[in-house]
Amino acid sequence: MRIESKSWNDPVLVATVAPLAVVMVAFFLVPLLMTAVLTFQTTQYYRLVWTWDLKIWTEVFSKPHYWTIMLRTVTMALICVVLTVLIAFPVAYALATRLKTFKTQIQILIIFAFLTDAVLKTFGWILILDKNGVANWLLMHLGFPPEMLNLLFTPTGTMIGMVYNLVAYPIFTIYLSLVRIDRDLVLAAYDAGASRFRTFFEVTLPLSRPGLYSGAVLVFVLSLGAFLEPKVLGGGTSPLASELIRQSFETRVNWPLGAALTMVLITTGALMLAACAAFALRRTATTRRPA
Amino acid sequence: MKKGTADISSNIGAVNRRSVLKGMGGLGLGLAAAGSGFLASRRDAAAAESLNYMCWEGYNAPSILEPFQKSKDASISIDLITDSAGGFAKLAAGASREFDLVSSDSPWIQRMGPAGFCRYIDEADFADQFAEFYPQFRAPFEPLAFEGKATGLPTRWGWVGPTVNTKFDKLETWSSYAPVFDSAYKDKICLLDWGDWPIMPLALYAGVNPYEELDAAALEEVRKVLRAAFKNTRAIVADLAVAQKGLIDGSFRALIGGGTYATSALRMKGHDYIQSIVPEPKNGLKQGIIWMEATGLIDNGKNSQIEADFLKYIVSPEVAKQLAITEATCNLVPNSKAEALFSEEEKKALQMDYMWTAWDNSQFHTVAPNIDDMLAIWQEELAAR
Repeated sequence: MRIESKSWNDPVLVATVAPLAVVMVAFFLVPLLMTAVLTFQTTQYYRLVWTWDLKIWTEVFSKPHYWTIMLRTVTMALICVVLTVLIAFPVAYALATRLKTFKTQIQILIIFAFLTDAVLKTFGWILILDKNGVANWLLMHLGFPPEMLNLLFTPTGTMIGMVYNLVAYPIFTIYLSLVRIDRDLVLAAYDAGASRFRTFFEVTLPLSRPGLYSGAVLVFVLSLGAFLEPKVLGGGTSPLASELIRQSFETRVNWPLGAALTMVLITTGALMLAACAAFALRRTATTRRPA
Repeated sequence: MKKGTADISSNIGAVNRRSVLKGMGGLGLGLAAAGSGFLASRRDAAAAESLNYMCWEGYNAPSILEPFQKSKDASISIDLITDSAGGFAKLAAGASREFDLVSSDSPWIQRMGPAGFCRYIDEADFADQFAEFYPQFRAPFEPLAFEGKATGLPTRWGWVGPTVNTKFDKLETWSSYAPVFDSAYKDKICLLDWGDWPIMPLALYAGVNPYEELDAAALEEVRKVLRAAFKNTRAIVADLAVAQKGLIDGSFRALIGGGTYATSALRMKGHDYIQSIVPEPKNGLKQGIIWMEATGLIDNGKNSQIEADFLKYIVSPEVAKQLAITEATCNLVPNSKAEALFSEEEKKALQMDYMWTAWDNSQFHTVAPNIDDMLAIWQEELAAR
């Protein structure tokens, strides 16, 4: 296939790209720029005072608790990525290879769970994780001591909620990668004497990387903005960045501070993603290098 | 301050989600929805006057708004607030030009004065309304005054103190906030994450009056008391239902920072063993806090009579009674004539037999000069938890 080289002088290309470019500039770049500008303003008596001041950035860089929360947010997001991928991969693999008969029904169930409002799902976990909730009731009837689990209002509770609410994303991205793997490649590996285990690690897993990476990126980005789970299931034990930002905007009515913390969160997330992308590209290049 | 779980903005009046959905149910399918929307728009346009009203949940009940709309041939558009500070910030950012009235927590109504968008109330015009209020709320009413002028009228009130399940604890145990810091109550306390509400009572327990100008030493005391409270606290929750559930099943032995706002609706539903009390004064410092919601007029250049009429309407005995007993929360009202309209059960739910005891032992929740410092300390200590 011949790939035509396109240039910005090509009117068709410009006409094709222009609508998206306009949308991105108007609804992403301009708000981002406005947020950045806001960080240099100050507030006086709950009103924004238009000035150019580094006061907010001085506060952000001089108060360690902002960074404690940012670090906690990134850590929680990374743990959430690992857990969701670990859960999603076997589910997606089973859907693609072992449960073909019930594939549609299972997919519909996952989609239903995915589309159910996150507020409902998160509050539902309270009934399960509470000291006198369903989980402890079940354990007690299985012979375990009463109130054995104490997960509600803990960071673990927050993590359970985050993983549950986000696991559908990697399930679908990984599934889509798995079903696109050419079956002949797997059979060729078997023919060449590879075990199922080796075939999985040398053929299936590498070829499912695009889905795995895209699922991981989705979960990471959404985890960085997790708000409901720490608020409802964390009970103040694991405040994350989004709550800090909400408090700054709403409760403290300090919009420049909220904007600065938003910029810190976006930058942190973008840098993390860039680092992961560089790592993934290097790894792909290494894998493709001829022997 | 953030209270409860009200989290939607709606437009009550001719065009709102409920009326559109109702129309859909009646006529069926999208065509009917479009038709009802069109008719609704026509009705809205046909109304002689319109009001833009920013308020807490409860003030927007159709049973409150519809009679006024009918009698005045007016349409009222509602913007529900979820956070008093956020609502004020919206007005301060320029929305004051769009709104006619606001019902919010009293410090934020009072702040409209210095912010420059308050339409002050002529107390003489509201003499009949003030005459119906309990003496404690009559003009001149200091908590809502700015430079001697009234910024609004009080509409609902209550007190903040420990909310206790008396099945588990005696009320005498909570004659002080000491159990919040007692290891015997470790992981049995719930703080309500409602802005400054949980901070103020804990500051009072530390011997600091948060409604006065605080120096660094006093702020350090606030920090220490919050840190100590966090150590013993099981959860800091923002959702009222979660806090109430824990209180009923005993997983929380006390809620701090909610007071009657968290209690009365439960008592109304039969949980009369849940009570909000006010601790005894400590070292001469009253430990309870009286919170109050108020309704103020906004100086938006329009300043028509209908806005003042609505203010008179919302504090009238019949409407005040409806405002007191809502689906989500139940609260006291300043109109003394409304008292006769409450049933015995409602009076009991509202703890009316205790209200003046609470009043006498409480500070009034006004503008705290160092509120941002205290909120910053709350954030810092929460991060370190």
